[in-house]
Amino acid sequence: MSGFVRFITRRVISIIPMVLLIVLINFFIIHLAPGNPAQIISGLEQPSQEVIKALEHRYGLDKPLVVQLGIYFKNALKGDLGYSYIYSEPVITLIKERIGATLLLTLTSAVLAFISGTLLAAWSSRYKKGILDSILSILSYVLYAMPSFWLALILILIFSSNLRWFPTAGMFNVRLSLHGFSRFGDILYHLFLPVLTLTLIQIPVYFRVTRSSIFQVSRDEYILTMTAAGLERKKIFNKYVLKNAILPSVTIFGLTLGYAITGSALVEIVFAWPGMGRLMLDAVFKRDYNLLLGIYFVLAVCICIAILLTDVFYAILDPRIRYK
Amino acid sequence: MVLFVWSGVVLSAPRTGGTFVIAYEGNPISFNPDWKTDDMGAGIYPNIFSKLITLDVNYNVIPDLAESWDVSKDGKVYTFHLRKGVKWHDGIPFTSADVKWTFDKIISAKGSAYNNLEKVKEITCPDDYTVVMKLKEPYAPFLGFLAWYGTYVMPKHLYAGTDWGTNPHNQNPVGTGPFKFVEWVKGDHVTLKRNDNYWAGKPYLDKVVYKIIPDSNTAMQAFLNGEADYDENRPGLPLIPVLQKTPGVRVIITPSPSRYYISFNLRKGRKTSVLLVRQAIELAIDRNEIVKKVLKNFGKAATGFYTPAIPWACAPDVKLPAMNVEKANELLDKAGYKKDAKGIRFTLDLLYFQESDWADMAAVVKENLAKVGIKVNLGEYEIATWIDKVVKAHNFDFALLDGFQGPDPDNLRLRVGTHGTLQFMGYSNSEVDEALDKGSQIADIQKRKPYYYKVERLLARDLPILPLAEVVYVHIFKNYVHGLPIEEPGKVGTGNYYLVWLSK
Repeated sequence: MSGFVRFITRRVISIIPMVLLIVLINFFIIHLAPGNPAQIISGLEQPSQEVIKALEHRYGLDKPLVVQLGIYFKNALKGDLGYSYIYSEPVITLIKERIGATLLLTLTSAVLAFISGTLLAAWSSRYKKGILDSILSILSYVLYAMPSFWLALILILIFSSNLRWFPTAGMFNVRLSLHGFSRFGDILYHLFLPVLTLTLIQIPVYFRVTRSSIFQVSRDEYILTMTAAGLERKKIFNKYVLKNAILPSVTIFGLTLGYAITGSALVEIVFAWPGMGRLMLDAVFKRDYNLLLGIYFVLAVCICIAILLTDVFYAILDPRIRYK
Repeated sequence: MVLFVWSGVVLSAPRTGGTFVIAYEGNPISFNPDWKTDDMGAGIYPNIFSKLITLDVNYNVIPDLAESWDVSKDGKVYTFHLRKGVKWHDGIPFTSADVKWTFDKIISAKGSAYNNLEKVKEITCPDDYTVVMKLKEPYAPFLGFLAWYGTYVMPKHLYAGTDWGTNPHNQNPVGTGPFKFVEWVKGDHVTLKRNDNYWAGKPYLDKVVYKIIPDSNTAMQAFLNGEADYDENRPGLPLIPVLQKTPGVRVIITPSPSRYYISFNLRKGRKTSVLLVRQAIELAIDRNEIVKKVLKNFGKAATGFYTPAIPWACAPDVKLPAMNVEKANELLDKAGYKKDAKGIRFTLDLLYFQESDWADMAAVVKENLAKVGIKVNLGEYEIATWIDKVVKAHNFDFALLDGFQGPDPDNLRLRVGTHGTLQFMGYSNSEVDEALDKGSQIADIQKRKPYYYKVERLLARDLPILPLAEVVYVHIFKNYVHGLPIEEPGKVGTGNYYLVWLSK
């Protein structure tokens, strides 16, 4: 097992310089963008030079870029991601407030899409070139091509406006002050349509990848050998085909998890879901450098961890990998 | 008791109770109402905080925490008489010390209204209920600016001696307004509850909830599906007629002192620095087409050089000329710009914002100018980049923008005065500056008029800007909502829901 441990240790260590490099690149890219946060805070109608200067001084924006970078790194190493220029709250607090809502949305839909996409592929591959397989294939193309915000609006029109089955926007019924279990139920009720949107959008990827992977693996010679040897087809499929065919889907699932904290911005906007994606877009438009850097930092860490977990999972599924 | 019958609905006396839900565009940035300019906080502050004086829906100054005020004969001393018995939401009495602390702080910490308070020399409190503000020089627009934004009175007992930027009450505000703060679920909603001790009387509503819905299409659906009673995040103009025809929905359209206009780059080397070119553009653009195609008739074509929403300062004899393509072509020929084989004289860069109706407006301008041989390159930018390119780098030929022209015509100074912060055209006319200075030093409106008329005449002559259309505000709410500020001019300030009640 020492090969496996060494494999993981190497992977974990490689994350650190990676994240630092990402933060460094982000820092300069963000500052290169035109626009000035102090100017935006003081407004377009009455931008006073004195007010802008006072804000620039307060946030250290009047210092040379390299000095700003040094300060940022020094604080970041102490775990302090700084203050948001716009909201004047610690970046970490702002991220903490929003990350739960986003993860609830993205993790739920990622898991649902992974499971249903893979199962649908396994199911439809048994009826290769049949009517069901064709219908699912066409449907998956349609869903794959569909913009998430558009699907979100259509689902609102059908399920909220016409059928009145689900709420239109937000995370809570604000007319009631619910507590405890009923509050949790209310959140799940509001979660349904956003999760449905994200799941439907993501299913095609898992479906198509797993489906073609199953076809490919089914044609492998060892499967042919097993079939010839008289092993039960169902057993071959479940134990040998699916396990191998699932690998590419695991990669996609891992990457999806990496983007889980910001990847659903458009759906969050349409459903007024109070998540990180919206926080990030706001920060972009308002040039809230610290907040943006903080979000990207968390994003970078998440992606690195997701890739690491994918590798580990891969290594478990396919022992050949860890000894390479 | 039946009080009046209106649009088929029989109304009785105002009912107490209920939760009023507003579909609201964005998250406020904090509940420090005076520090940073925050359009999203601005809609919520009036229900938590009060000002000394405020503006009603028609932009008239009305009393708020100050019951009355006097202005000295020389126009330099403003004395405010405060209401007695007003309490902060935490029960501490409100006094003149709070007012003095607030304004001293706005000035020393450079709050958002800093520019508007530039003329203040000293603030004193002869007693607990009197505030005296001494100005460096007479300044007629002072009351309007004091009533406008960034001037909410803040609780000294909670803020004195702290950093007002990071004070915990920025997240948990204490004011003197009609509603008390309950909770702010970031990005989802802000909840307020009735302040039973509000100085003007007990508000009708139990709760006011600002439900944050950033997408205007979703906001409209949530409103129609009964999740909100008032749609403040209005959908695109083409959808307004749909709402007007929806049973149970009321749509009220009011004029606003905001207008769309073009700013020309007057710097040397730019084609737009030639007056004949600007005059040709003035004649070539069809303002009625903009109103019809872009604003879907929600708005009016501009006719003069100041907003008709503040009529006293509008010069009756300064009018924009009617569209005349032939004459525009003549002027351009006269300026020496001949059409080439493709019928193009020259190319100009038009810069505008990425948001809302700007792209449509730019398209109309482009089409109009094509008829006189001016090719327009469209440059669409999000606001931060637009500011960089236009306001700072002056890298444009002409730009589209809009803006609030009130509460006083002195605001023209920002847009066309030599040192105006929104004067990025490179325009400097000492006659304009002088007229603006003189107009701001006289209290009597009748005597101020001629100065603003003069400014408008000069603008019509020099054309640093070209007004296009007047903005209207569209208010969309359910027919069971009554007493909104638009229906109570003179009684409450804009955004204050103290008189709102629900007949449902």
